[in-house]
Parts: sequence; structure tokens; C-alpha cells
Amino acid sequence: MPSLISQSEKRRLVIVGAGMAGSKLAHDFEKAHGDEYQIVLIGEESRVGYNRIMLSSLLANDISDTEMPLVDTQKMQENGVDIVSNDPAIKVDSKNKTILLASGKSIIYDQLVLATGSRASVLPIHGSSAPNVMGFRTWSDVDVMTQLDDRRSVCIIGGGLLGLEAAVGLVKRGHKVVVFHRSSWLLNRQLDEESAELLLNRLEQMGIEFRLGESPESFLQTDDGRVSHVVCKKGEKLSVDLVVMAAGISPEIALAKSAGLKTDRAILVNEQMQTSHVDVFALGECCEFDRQTFGLVAPIWTQINVLMKVLVGKEAAFVVEPTPTKLKVSGVNLFSIGKIQPSEEDSCILFKDVSANHYRKLVVNGGLLVGAILYGNVADGSWYFQLIQNKTNVSNMLDLLVFGEAYCCPQVA
Amino acid sequence: MTATMMTATSGKTTCPYCGVGCGVNLTLPYSANEAVPPVSGDLEHPANFGRLCVKGSSLAQTIQSDDRLLTPMVGGHPVAWESAIKTVSAKIAQVVKDHGPDAFAFYLSGQILTEDYYVANKLAKGFIGTANVDTNSRLCMASAVVGYKRAFGSDTVPCNYEDLELCDLLIMVGSNAAWTHPILYQRIAAAKKQRPNMKVVVIDPRETATCDISDLHLAIKPGSDAAIFSFLLSDSVQAGILDQGFVTNHTNGFKAALAQANESTPSLSLTADFCGVSEQDLASLVDWWRDTAKTITFYSQGVNQSSSGVDKCNAIINCHLATGRIGKEGAGPFSITGQPNAMGGREVGGLANQLAAHMDFATPGAQDLVQRFWQAPNMATKDGLKAVDLFQAMEEGKVKVVWIMSTNPMVSLPDTAQVRRALEKCELVIVSDCKAHTDTTVMADVLFPATGWSEKDGTVTNSERRISRQRGLLPAPGEAKHDWWAICEVAKSLGFQSAFSYQSIHEIFAEHAALSAFENNGRRDFDIGHFSQISKAEYDALIPVQWPVPEGRPEGTKRMFEDGRFFTPDGRARFIGITPSFPKSRASQEWPFTLNTGRVRDQWHTMTRTGDAASLAKHTAQPYVEIHPKDAKRLAIKDKALVRLTSPYGEALLKAKVSRAVALGNVFAPIHWTQQFANASVVSNLIPQVVDPLSGQPESKHAQVRLEAVGGICYGLIISAVPLVLSDCLYWCQVPSEQGYHYEVVWPSGQTQASLKLIDVGQSQDLAEKAEWLEYSNPITQQIRLAKLVDQKLTLLIYSHPQPESLVADWLISKLAINTSLSAQDRLAILVGIPANLEDKGDIVCSCYQIGSKQIEKAVTSGVCSVDGLGARLKCGTNCGSCLPELKRFIPTVAELSV
Repeated sequence: MPSLISQSEKRRLVIVGAGMAGSKLAHDFEKAHGDEYQIVLIGEESRVGYNRIMLSSLLANDISDTEMPLVDTQKMQENGVDIVSNDPAIKVDSKNKTILLASGKSIIYDQLVLATGSRASVLPIHGSSAPNVMGFRTWSDVDVMTQLDDRRSVCIIGGGLLGLEAAVGLVKRGHKVVVFHRSSWLLNRQLDEESAELLLNRLEQMGIEFRLGESPESFLQTDDGRVSHVVCKKGEKLSVDLVVMAAGISPEIALAKSAGLKTDRAILVNEQMQTSHVDVFALGECCEFDRQTFGLVAPIWTQINVLMKVLVGKEAAFVVEPTPTKLKVSGVNLFSIGKIQPSEEDSCILFKDVSANHYRKLVVNGGLLVGAILYGNVADGSWYFQLIQNKTNVSNMLDLLVFGEAYCCPQVA
Repeated sequence: MTATMMTATSGKTTCPYCGVGCGVNLTLPYSANEAVPPVSGDLEHPANFGRLCVKGSSLAQTIQSDDRLLTPMVGGHPVAWESAIKTVSAKIAQVVKDHGPDAFAFYLSGQILTEDYYVANKLAKGFIGTANVDTNSRLCMASAVVGYKRAFGSDTVPCNYEDLELCDLLIMVGSNAAWTHPILYQRIAAAKKQRPNMKVVVIDPRETATCDISDLHLAIKPGSDAAIFSFLLSDSVQAGILDQGFVTNHTNGFKAALAQANESTPSLSLTADFCGVSEQDLASLVDWWRDTAKTITFYSQGVNQSSSGVDKCNAIINCHLATGRIGKEGAGPFSITGQPNAMGGREVGGLANQLAAHMDFATPGAQDLVQRFWQAPNMATKDGLKAVDLFQAMEEGKVKVVWIMSTNPMVSLPDTAQVRRALEKCELVIVSDCKAHTDTTVMADVLFPATGWSEKDGTVTNSERRISRQRGLLPAPGEAKHDWWAICEVAKSLGFQSAFSYQSIHEIFAEHAALSAFENNGRRDFDIGHFSQISKAEYDALIPVQWPVPEGRPEGTKRMFEDGRFFTPDGRARFIGITPSFPKSRASQEWPFTLNTGRVRDQWHTMTRTGDAASLAKHTAQPYVEIHPKDAKRLAIKDKALVRLTSPYGEALLKAKVSRAVALGNVFAPIHWTQQFANASVVSNLIPQVVDPLSGQPESKHAQVRLEAVGGICYGLIISAVPLVLSDCLYWCQVPSEQGYHYEVVWPSGQTQASLKLIDVGQSQDLAEKAEWLEYSNPITQQIRLAKLVDQKLTLLIYSHPQPESLVADWLISKLAINTSLSAQDRLAILVGIPANLEDKGDIVCSCYQIGSKQIEKAVTSGVCSVDGLGARLKCGTNCGSCLPELKRFIPTVAELSV
């Protein structure tokens, strides 16, 4: 369409991927530099610019559709941002600085930002591609789940944040949910065994069934290819209507690869978020910096701030900082940050009130807080986050540290 | 009698604590189940005119006790009074028959009433035939008694409290009146405020609270007091302030005493050196002494509890006699007694070296007089055993039956180990007390339940010779009986019916008064003949009066010796030659520290009463030893750390209080804590049985000890709903609390959560499976804190830490409240020890940064008008953004804004 390749005098910034990272960059960049830049935002989903984090809340019926937008796309368009939805980019011609979309449109860019995100990892189990095996990544995934008939049996594979949020959402909608989790405790990257036990008890009370230390052996399929049963290790067969894969995510890097960008697990970027191509940048879950990929929103917001500067030729550098994790399940509060499995030189300060579901573990090393798990009462999470982020010396508050900010800094409270 | 008590709604009585003897109004509750309302000071009582100190103000709190002795006990079993009395009288009869009357002894107390004292003295000295009647007053003012008697021929306190307000120079020697006699101190402080020219000098090795109003503090070497007064005597002559007329006409022995003073303290510089004070400071005192006719020397235990206590008293009295500063307004040597009725005990003759009614065995004709008055069949003929000698004789097997009344010699007498051996050896130990458990009741074979303050009825005499009524306003609980009744019942059981068949307490008082007047004719100072026919109604209406109250002088006597006539045979006062001396035990390499003992502000004696009032524990919760910072540093003793004091006689564990109030090489410890309150802090363990040869008063203010920091320990705090036996603790102290049980403890280090959780095993009724534990462990600070909840209610709290900490436990104790489930905040806070002063954030909106609705509303009110603005101000919504929709709702629409 000619308008998309218009001969505007403005520089052209094309952002591929209209998830949270891409949408927010487009929004913020237009506000800052809309006068000099023509911004194009390309999304493969029919709905763009929504807050993906809220999908769990949407599934759990805690919020409504109207609360989903992250940015006001209508206003962005009024301000001149070209937003393309439901039309994935399929090819990058870096030589001609052109993007080809599935619809056949091609778009010229001066600078290109890849924000292609990630997809649910699919376990190598026979039947994984069956129509009733799905991930939990998009608004349309939520649509599928919300449209399920009553009292279905759902099997969720993966007891991480996403899997548990899906499980809670589905169990709240009246379905029978079984969660398989490979590790011996839930959220094993965020919790220790004791706090995970508290979480397990809570989720079991909500009606979710757990198979810990276990992955499905195989899926039994019906003639039409749908999965009818999940086969457990000991041969037990669980009848299922739906399987949700929540066993991790894989960065979406197909487009980048095809363009010849350097990739490893994800698209390699430097501290300016720049890929191996000088005018191509990557952002969010699809990028890899310093051997790390990013699944949480905080570092991605930081990346946006870096890109906002880099794209207009200012200096900025991305630095990885610890990021707190939460589980978005109403009634369940947990907070985890930094190093949570102590090594020998670390010390653990513990507070346990098991019957009140309150647990705190702080990992301290050489006068610095390096990790924290809070379960039940997470009010001090952000304070611990700041202590870790600012590398605050906590030596003089070790005796009160675990009790939180109100005790350590009463003048602040 | 009980009926009239029950119908009364309030009454006037007298405080049972110090020798000030303040008047107290006690209001009775409407029903027996209600608590007694707080007491107030009696506006009309001349001791206090309505004021009360904190101990007195808390009296109502001590009336209800969980630990009352309610029934007679023989061999650990409750028995009827009749049977207990029979057991006691049979044993007394047997030992008197087999070993003579001196095999029996009374050990009485300045807390019992004059009437109790009178019948005990009468029974022993006139009917059993022994003068073994001694009392804890021996530990308090025996030296003052002998000092007065040597000088005046009688045990006569010359002054009154008004004199303290009227004097121009007050020399306070060996007294921390600010804490021990607070109402007198307040009267002095008020007088000084009104007349700033009034000078106050404190002579005390320690810098005490009393120094607050002093113009001069002489921090003398322990025990060196006499030298100052020896020098003042010499100087009075040099300075020409001698009252030559008074000395010539009313005294004997001046020349010899002066010569001895001149020899002992030849110069100001040598005296200052002897006392360890600066010449300048001593010179100030000397100047003021020279210039001030209206001088009172006010002295107490610091003077009396000394191996030369009597000499110190006479050194003081000498100065007053030489300058004629006695028998006049605002002048005189004023001994202040420690106990509410030490004076009453002296008046009836309730000490082993007295006979009766201020007569001694040596007083010519006295034995005959008393025998005739009492119609006594078995008069004692010589002095009995004074307290320390009495317990030594007990250990030697000479005293075989002892009746201890209202006192706790296991804590108050020196060398507790010896006292224990003596009581173990004694064949029958009878203890009359209102408490079931004291360090002494555990040694008893027979326990008599006694009435306590507010139940007891009788008279007491305060430090200014003022007789006041303690009134029995509340009924006696259980089988508790008045002490006089128990004594009379035993006497009757011994066959002395006619002499002990009193129908009412006033009959005893009348008899006591009659004896004081019997063939007196002004020869004896103590004469209250006006009361010898007193009726019950008159006795019940008795208003406080200062003795002598002879026939025809019902108004009593304000001040003594105004006529310059004394009670010696020739009517002249006697100067006593004094050579100042230091305490018996001296510092050595092995025992390098000098231990001084005393009191804290809010406890009384061995805490049997004050220990029941939680509020009184707030000032000083635990036993302590005061130590100079340099000594503490040298011995690596930190403030509040546990210290072991050792003397040749025993040891005590006390918490260090590092303070410049004590001199280098000196330490100070208060005496109150018994084994009922702390397992290892009995200070009398350390004190030698050194006594003044004349008064028999122990040198309790002086012991030589060794100090060491206790290592390998951790400190703890325990709060429990039930009392605990803390056998694994090296040290524990039970701090009186409003509810539950509060212990400060020290464990050997290496406690674990598992070991600490076993503390109340078998002692609490909680079912183990119902218990929830809250746990805090910090390997860096080595803290362990545990809370046990049953049905969401706190029942046990344990803190352990390597360093001594001082937590204010009140808030934690309040969480023991029986019917309160703990809030979520408190479940955290009880392991912190303090409530968090948490801001009310409202409902949390941004969970990343924990920003609540109230914070957001506040920001909006202050002008923030966009979600971005909120993010800039509060950080809310700037992380995951999941709260952005909610945040938007806080922002007023443009339309609203424009309005």
C-alpha cells in the first residue's frame, strides 16, 4: 500500500512486533520524536498494544477486556503512527532496508526494531501439535480458554509462573486442572522448598491437582487427532479436554535468522540493543544480551529507555539488574528476587509463620542483600528490591532486616 | 470485727515501707471480688501531708497476691491452727526443758507491729526466760541505737521532720534518701527550693540520686565517714564555735573526746587524704559547719552498716553536742530508720540487748520492775544473741527452735551459706509470713499464715518518734491470723494463759503504754502513759502522735532535749572518744573490688510486697552491679553483660551497669533480688559476717569481691502465659509483669531452635499438636526468636541473642492478653519486639512498589493529575503496569479538573 511506503521527509522507524515491548516503544517514541519520525508498528495478532501481563487476570475474570490496553492505539494512530495488525512480517531485506509482510506489503525502514517476543516452548511429546494442545501467550489463547465448555479437564504442563496463573484462571472458571511440574517444588526458579510448600497448599486448597517431579510420558490421541488422555509415568491415564503447554518460552527469532542477524538462543544485541546489523535493533523477549534473555517486564522497560536514546543518536547503555518476580494470582502473594539458593559463603535470614502462610528468606553476602523470597506478605518486596538494586550496605540493620522497611527505616514508614 | 471492716468504705492507715511512715488512705472495693482502688496519701498525716512515693502509691497493686500463705503448714502439709500451735509449743517446751530457755529464739522484723513485737518480747524475756529476741532491725539501725544510748543514756531520736525543713545546713551521710526515703527527700527538696540558701551536703562513696539537690558531694572512701566528724569536732574548737555553756552544763567527757579527735584527725589535709576527698571540698563543708548553727546531720544505713557504725554515730553526735546543735529547731543528729516499725520494735525492747520499754538488762532495777509488771515467772537476766551471733549459735546447735516472723534472713543476713547451714541444723524452724514462697519459707518446718498490710491492725512508730495506726481494713484471707494472736496462742499453749489472754489489740497497746509509764517518773525517755487506759474506740481513732506522751501530755513531744537534760544517771550527755577506722575487710590481689550494697528506687527489701506490682519493676527490672567504666573496660565487661561476683563466702551473677557513679575499684549492687525472682543474684551470698562489736550490726555495705565477665553465653527473653522452671538457664530473673511471666535469662551458648522449643515442655497445658510456631533465625547476628501460638493466641515467646539487649517487653507482654487473636502485623512484630509504626497505605494498588490507595489519593489531592505523574511521584505503575487501569480511576477527568 503506497501510504505505508510514503515518501515522507521523516525518518522511518519500523517496529516488528506489537506486543508490550514494541507497542510501548512505538508509543513512547512517537511522544518524544513523532515530529521527526514516521513510526510503523507491525503486529501478527489481531489485537495489538495490549498488556500481556494481564492475560492471567483476564483469564481469572479478575478484570474485563476494557482494562487490557497498554497503550491507546487509537490516539497513537491519530498522532500518525502506522499500526499494522494481523499481518506478521515474514522477511527482512536488510540490503534494501525493507520488510515484507505476510499480506505482501513491503515497508521501508531507516531503523528497524525487532520486538518479536517469544512463543511457548513445545515439549517433544508425541501429539504436541494436536489442536487441543495450546500455549498461553496471547489474547486469543485466553479466548480459547474462556470459550471452553463447563467442567472440562485441563492438563497444564509446567508449574512456573505462567502455568500456575493459567491453572488458577481455569480452575476459577470451573474446570478440573492437573498441573505437571518437572521439578520437585513449584516455581523452583523463584522459590525455595519451604515457600513452595506454602504455595502448593494454597493452590491445592483452590482445587488444583499437582504432579510434582513428573512430566507426561505421552499423549493419547483420538482419531481426529485431538489429545484424549495424558499418560503418566506409571502408566496412569488422565482423561483431558485441553492441554496447556507452559513449560517455558522460546524467543521468536525466525525472522532475524532469515535476515542473517547473529543469534544464539535469541537475537544477540550489544548494550545499545543493536544487533549485528547497524540499523537493526532488538528488544524484549526476543533479544539476548550478555548471555541472558528476558521474560519479565522491568528490564524490557529499561531496554526501551535505552533505545529511545540510541535511536536518536544519544548515548545510553543497557545494564542487567535483578528483577523481582510475582505470581499474579489474587489471594496469593509471593515475591522473589536475586539469588535465592544460597551458596556456602551466603547467609540466610529466615522468618517463618507457617500457619499464617507467611515466609521470608533473605540471602545476605558480605553486607549486601543478594536475594529474597517473600511469601504471604510481600509488602517489603520493593524495598528489598531497592536494597539489591542500589547495593545498599545492610550491615547495620541485619537484626531487623527480615522484618522489613518499617522496622529498619521507621522514618520512611 | 470482720463485719465492721467490711462495712467501712475507706480508712486511714500507714504505709508499710520505709521509716518515714506516711499516712495512707485506703478505699475498699464494693465487693470482695473487686480490686482495691489505688491508695492516696493522707493529707492530715504529719509525715507526708498527702504525698506518697511510687512504692506507696502502688500499695493497692500489692494487696492481691497469687502467693499468699493461707493455711498453717507442718512438714509441708496443711494443718489446722490448733494442731500447728500444739506442735510448736510442744517442741519449745521440750527444748527449754532439755537445753534451757536459750535454745529458743525469736527472729523478728521491723515490719511487724508494735503490739506483735510486745507480746513476742514478753513471751521470750518474761515467760520462756530468754533474751534471744532479735530482729532484722539489727541490720538496719542497731548502731544508731547504741550510738544514741552511749551519748544520751537512751535511744532517743532528738529531731523531727520539720527540723529538716527548718535547718540551714543538712549533712546527709550514708543515705540515698531520694530513693530510700523519697517523701522526706521531697520535703527537703521543696524546702531548699523555697530557701535556696539552705545548703545540702551529701557524704557517700557513690554519686546517688540524692546528690541532685546537693551543693556539695563528698565521695569519700568507703567507711571513712567518722574522720570527717572527728575533724569537725576539732575544728569547732579551733574556729571558736564551741558552745562552752552547753558542754560545761550538760555533757561529760568532752576533753578526752577532743583529744582523741585532735590526735585522729590533726589537720584538714590529713583528714581529706584519709577520706579520699579534695581539701577544697572538705574545707567547704568545714566552712558551712562553722557558719551554720541550724545544722542537721541526717544519717542512715551507710553509717550504721559498718564494723565501726556506733563510733560513726557518736562522732556525729559529738559534733552536735560540742556546738549545742541539739534540742533546738532545725538542729540535731537525726538517724533515719529504714523500716516502718523499727522504732516500735526498739520501744518495746524487741532487740536482744534490750529488756523492755527502753530499759536494758543493765539498767539498775529494770529486771525487777519488768518482772513485777509482767508478773513474769521466768525472767531473762542477760542480753540474748544478736542476729549474726544467733544464727551462728543455731549452726553450733545451741539454738534449736527459731521463730522467724515477717523477715527473710536467707536474703538479708550476711553470708547466706551460713544462714542456710544454721536453718538446716535448727531442729524446728517456724516462719510466720503472708507469702507462701520466700527464700526463708522453703527452710521452714512450720509455716504460720500471717495477715498482711491492710489486714493487720496495730501501731507503728516512724523515724520522728511518731506513733501511727496501721489499720486492719480488709478481712484476713484463708486461715491467716495476726502475728500477736499466733504468739499469744503459743504462749497459752505453753501454760501462760493469764498473761496472754488479750481480747483485742488495744489491750496490748494499753499494757505496753502502762509498762512505759510504770515507775517511770520522767527517768526513762519512752513514756506513753497517756495511753495506758486507752479504750478500743480511742485506739481506733488514734491520731499520729510523737512520743513521749506521758500522762497529762496528750499532745506528745515534738523535739527532745530542749531542756539540755539527758537520760544518763547524772542527766548529762556523754562525749565518746572516737578513732576513725576503715572497714574490716580490705582489698587484696585476690579480692580486689570493694562491694557496696543498697537499694533501688522502686523496690522494698526482698520484694515480697513490691515484687507484686508490675509497675514497680519498670524502674529497675533486673539485679545489677554498678562498675566504673575503666574497671569494666579492663575486665572486658560490657554494659548489661552478665558478671560473676565472687567473695570468699559465695558468688552472685548480676548484670553490669557501667557507670561513673561508683569510684574505681568499687562496685555497687542492690540487695532486693531473692531466689524467688532470680536464681543466682542473692547479694548477701557475698557479704562476710563482720559486725560492729557494740551494736552487732553487720558491715553489709562492705565486702571484698572479684569480678569477671561470664563467657560462652547467650542472652534471652522469655514471656510465657504460665510460670516456667528454667533449669537450663545459667541465670534467670523473673520481672514482675501485668500479666503472664516475664523472664530475662542467660543460657550457655549453642542454643538451637529445637532446644529452645522444649522450654515449656511438661509445664504448659497446651497440646503440642495445637501449637503453631513462628520462627526467626539469623545466623549472622546469631539471633533466634520463637513464638508459640495456640488458637492464634500468644502463649510463649523466646528471644535468644549473643549480646545483651534491652528490649522493652511491655508491649510483648500485652500480647499475652487472653482473648486476643494476633493481627497479621503483630504476628511479625512479636518477633521484632516492637510494634511497627506503619503508615496506613490503604489497599495496595501497585503491588510492585506496594503503593496503596491512600497514598495515591494523597498524591492526587496534592495536585498530581496524571498516571504518569503518579508514577513519577510514587513509582506506582512504572514496573509491570498491571495497575495502570486502576491508577487511571484515581485521576479526575478533565471536566472535573476544569471545575
